[in-house]
Amino acid sequence: MAGITDLGVGIGWRSEIDLTVERLPGVDFVEVVAENLHGDVQRGHLPESVRLLLERGIPVLPHAVSLSLGGADPVDLTRVEHLGEVAEAVGAPMVSDHVCFVRAGGLDSGHLMPVPRTKDALDVLVANVRLAQQNLPVPLALENVAALLEWPDGELSEGQFLAELVERTDCWLLVDVANLYANARNIGTDPERFLDEIPLERLAYVHVAGGVDHGDVYHDTHAHAVLPEVLGVLDELCSRVSPPGVLLERDDNYPSDSEIASELAAIRAVVDAHRG
Amino acid sequence: MLANGPAPAGFDEQRLDVERRALLSKRRGIVRMLSPGVADELGDRFRPLFDAYAVEHPRRAGSRAREDAASFAEWCRAAGELSVKRKARWKFWQSN
Repeated sequence: MAGITDLGVGIGWRSEIDLTVERLPGVDFVEVVAENLHGDVQRGHLPESVRLLLERGIPVLPHAVSLSLGGADPVDLTRVEHLGEVAEAVGAPMVSDHVCFVRAGGLDSGHLMPVPRTKDALDVLVANVRLAQQNLPVPLALENVAALLEWPDGELSEGQFLAELVERTDCWLLVDVANLYANARNIGTDPERFLDEIPLERLAYVHVAGGVDHGDVYHDTHAHAVLPEVLGVLDELCSRVSPPGVLLERDDNYPSDSEIASELAAIRAVVDAHRG
Repeated sequence: MLANGPAPAGFDEQRLDVERRALLSKRRGIVRMLSPGVADELGDRFRPLFDAYAVEHPRRAGSRAREDAASFAEWCRAAGELSVKRKARWKFWQSN
């Protein structure tokens, strides 16, 4: 896929900050959460604000949170189909979801749960990803999640696990540097080793988000300011590869426009520092 | 973890508890956002009541957050914690 070369700096579009996203300077692209777009998307029924951004030529990338591709349950193809419809409605070159599961045993965790990093779990994930890819009109990127706990008996590091996933499915990677920082804090992942192990040439784009330090636990909330340490991980990534895009995710406790603008500017400064 | 089941073998129990609390907190926050009137009426009781409800009623796969919020309000009414009748709405001809 040669479509994604330079997305620039973006922000997650949310209905609560639709006007903010429209008027912020320096928004080169946005993401929409596919599950939040209801109704007849295949007939072009999109929120007015999203339509306006599209008219301005701003790329809109659908991001899904509910495919549960790391789960043992059969893939829910209606969710995959909806994601594909959103992609076509916004003319997106790519869609994404996470390396995780959200449903198991008939229950919904309400959040993105990490999968065991075993060969068996990888086989399940690979099969689910292939099935999703076959039912999507555009390439699929998969994102590393923030984990608060580790499954026992992991056989691969997180980087190795994702590298093998890419190798076997030809998917793209969406690297969330805040999740990487969270995992370094909470479960002892080494971000540099992670970046060494993943195929950076398959990097679709990067997520940045804020969180809060609870002392013994870092909580990736998307409702607080971006920590300098998270920008540090972004800097480490940019020292290895020029990311095709970097996107700020803010999901709650929305700050003023100027605070969001300064976070976007800080992200751009890190990216530009490596471009010379 | 969602329904107070026993800890599975091999996991760090403290970490399971952190995860359990994080998931509960997220779910509680969503319900608070979706039904602010219920949260206001319950006041300080909202959190302990929600947590008790949540353990009894883990979210089913395919269920929606709004259904969760409605089911919690119903549970509170059945337990006598929430007034059964909604407060009278302002009539449109009354100015407030």
